Formats: sequence, C-alpha cells, structure tokens
Amino acid sequence: MITRFGQSLVDLSRGTRDLWQVYVSTLAGIIRRGRRPRGELARQMFAIGNRSLVFIIVTLGFIGMVMTYEACLQLSTVTGDFSQLGMQFIRLVVSDFGPTLTALMLATRVGAGIAAEIGSMKVTEQVDALRMSGVLPIDYLIVPRFLASIIMTLVLSVIGGTVMYLAGGLTAKYSFGVNPNLFFDLELLRLRHVGLFVVKALAYGAAIPIVAGFCGLRARGSSEGVGWATTAAVIGGSFAVIILDFVLSAAALFVFGGDL
Amino acid sequence: MSGYVEWKAVHKSFNGRAVLRGMNLAVQKGEVLFIIGTSGVGKSVTIKLLLGLLRADAGEIWFDGQRVDQLPERALAGLRRRIGMVFQSSTLFDSMTLAENVALPLRRHQGLSHTKAVAEARERLGAVFMAEHADRFPAELSDGMRKRAAIARTLALGPDVVLFDEPTTGLDPVSARRIDQLIRSLATTGITPIVVSHDPPSIFGVADRVAFIYQGVVHTLATPAELEASADPVVQQFIQGRSAGPMETPGF
Repeated sequence: MITRFGQSLVDLSRGTRDLWQVYVSTLAGIIRRGRRPRGELARQMFAIGNRSLVFIIVTLGFIGMVMTYEACLQLSTVTGDFSQLGMQFIRLVVSDFGPTLTALMLATRVGAGIAAEIGSMKVTEQVDALRMSGVLPIDYLIVPRFLASIIMTLVLSVIGGTVMYLAGGLTAKYSFGVNPNLFFDLELLRLRHVGLFVVKALAYGAAIPIVAGFCGLRARGSSEGVGWATTAAVIGGSFAVIILDFVLSAAALFVFGGDL
Repeated sequence: MSGYVEWKAVHKSFNGRAVLRGMNLAVQKGEVLFIIGTSGVGKSVTIKLLLGLLRADAGEIWFDGQRVDQLPERALAGLRRRIGMVFQSSTLFDSMTLAENVALPLRRHQGLSHTKAVAEARERLGAVFMAEHADRFPAELSDGMRKRAAIARTLALGPDVVLFDEPTTGLDPVSARRIDQLIRSLATTGITPIVVSHDPPSIFGVADRVAFIYQGVVHTLATPAELEASADPVVQQFIQGRSAGPMETPGF
C-alpha cells in the first residue's frame, strides 16, 4: 500500500514536470518561431473559434437564463427588490462567469478534439515521423493550437458573456417583469473587472491546449490510449480552469481587496 | 569486430517489464540485416533506440564510430539525416499531399524553399514510381502506394542507413515483393537497410543476415541459409510458424 502510494506520488511529480516542460517548450517554440504548417494558425482559429460558436452561445445563453431566473425567484421570496440584480449580474459575468464558463465548455469540446487528434498521431507514429523529419512536435502541433486557443477563448468569452447577460435580462423581464433599463445598468462595472476578464480568458485559453496536447502526446498503444488521452484532457482541462479561476480570483481579491 | 551500427549490452523496460535484457548486435556497412522475433519481443524498440525515439535504460548504441544513445534531442537531428526510418504504418501526414509530405524533411533538414523542396520531392516520388500521384492526399491511395511514398520521404535526405519497421505487413504479395526489391536495391547503392519483419519470403529472399531476438537478446545471428538449417528447436519453431514447441511467448 505504501509502495503504491509512493509510486503514485512519483508518477504525479513526473506528470507535473512533463506538463511544465510542454508549457515551457511551447513558449520557446513561439519565441523561436518554429516550423509549423502554412495557414495552420488560421485553421486552428476556425476549428476552435468558429466551430465552438453555436455551442458557446447556446450553453451560456441557457446558463444565463437559469441563473437570472433562480436569482429573481430568491429575491422575490425575500425582498422583492430587483434594483441590484442586473448590476450585480454583469459584474459577476465579467469578472468570473463569462470567461470561466466559456472555458469550461471549451475544455470539453476543444480539449477533447486536440487530445484525440494528437493522440491519434502519437499512436500511429506520426509524431515520431515528425521528429524524423527534423520537426519538433511541440512547434508543429501545440504552438498553433496554443496561439489560436488564446485568441479565440478571449473572443468567445466576450460573445458568451454578452449572450449570458442578454439572456439573463430577457428572462428577468419576461419572467419577473424586471425593467430592462434597470437590469442593463453598468454602474457597478469597473475597469478592474474587465482586466480580470481578460486575464482569466487568456490564462484559460493557454491552459486548455497545453493540458490537451500533453495528454495527446502521452497516448500509448492504440485506440484505447487515444480514448484515455481524450478523457484525461477533458478532466485535466476542466480542472485547470477551476484551479486557475480560484487562483486568479484570490489574487484579484488580494490586490483590490473589498473593492473587487 | 565492431559494426557500422552497434548495440552493446542494451537494456530497455516498459512499466517494469524488461523487453531488452543486455542485447548485443553489430551491423556491417552495406549489408541487409533482418531483425526477426515474436510480437512484443523488442524488434521495433531496438531500431527506435538507435534514432533516439526511445531511450535505453542501460548499454551503448554506436553508429559510424560515434556513440549516439546519449545525444540530446537537438543533436539527434544530424543523426536522423543519416539514418532514415520507414514506420510500420505509412505515417504520412493526412493534411499534406504526397509531394508536400516528401518535401517536409527536405525543407527542414536541408533548408530548401517550399518550391524547390516540392520539385525535389516529385523526383523522389518518381524513383518509387509514384510521380503521377504527387498531388494526391494519402487517404486517396492504397496501403502499398502509401508505403512507397513513405519510403520516398525517408530516402529524400539520402540516408546512409534505412530502418524498415515491418515494411510488408498488410500488403498484398505483389506489393510486398516490390518493396523487397526496393530494399535489396538500396544495398547496391551503398545504403545499409535494417529491416524488422515477420514475413518469411522477405526474410529468406532479401536478407544477408538475420538476427533472431528471443527473451531480450539476440538468440541467433546467421545467414538465411544457416537459420533454415539451424538445429535450435526455438529457431525452427519460429521459422516454421508452429504453435507447439519450446518457445515462450508471453501473453499466449
């Protein structure tokens, strides 16, 4: 039992070290402008951004509706005062829910796709063939996805957050008769909330392809290995988003204190 | 006698399971060496260790008088220019045409422009009778055609040694014999082919020498004729493909 526990710790520390190496190698790949297929960045931006658009709009729209409905329900049974509802909601959407929920959705759709693609290449020896061709797999496979994910997570977070806010406003109006002028009030929104939004979106956008690429590159065997990599990428990516959310929110709270 | 390519007391394990247990093997320049053995015995591992695609746990690997098993990844680029590998599956990149696939190592290793590399790639594809398919994608071709294109990609850099990992597996007999011919013809041009194979017609029709790996070491190193005449019951069981016999096959 102790041996197994020790082995698990060793495996965990090795995994963490390898994940860190993938991250550092990706940054190094960006700096040295390593070899990657022509037009690959645009292709990846399309795959990550455009192909996730409907998914993000639908899921964040519904989440916005549910959250507002629940908030209105609670308020109506306690105070019946909806004056702060929209102001608080946009503050939450911008500083947390917009980028975080968008990233959680992307961790499933994009993370699984990246891990499956790279994992398939790994088990069919295409990654080895890249190395034989003098191409570093990180430069070729992960760097374009990393850059595309950073850009498109930010864009999708803006779209997702906007949809969430609008859906919440419509739900408040048609379910509880909340005046839209009252709901769509940005009085409590500050530049620091927008700053936190951007930082979170960029951090999530960076984490998802790194975790997914790492899982893909660790795929072994055959289709079973690809399946494992895909599952691990979804779990790891979601986990990374939640941990980053906690760390960045705590850091913001530390910097801005009660003003956040 | 030291070899052009040499494995010295090489050990390699995966998840605690020893695959190679002090394997020694020397390959001479210009000979066609076949590595044979049961599935999972470490044949592909042996050739991947030479290229640094896998790392040995212990032992030494030498190529042309230079120790290569400790080279860092960056230094391996030079080695991979001189030693090419044709993988078991064709490993062509699906998003590229055949010409672009063959051009990739030319661009990367020789620094050719895209246009020059693609032009050169078309010539290389012509050498394996694939020039007319240069603009097609791998998914549009048969296994044999993909394999030939993969060989063209490997030969594009003019390697001194070419490693083949089960080159005839999954091919029809005619395509398989054409691949055999190609391997044999490489040796006449000064290239040293090292071939991992299970295919008896290839082994006995093409090899100069055969290394039979069993229980993590080279059990027998012999010419095809010597191997056929061997009195060793393990060797006989393997080359005759008998299920009953003294050979231990883990997992069966």
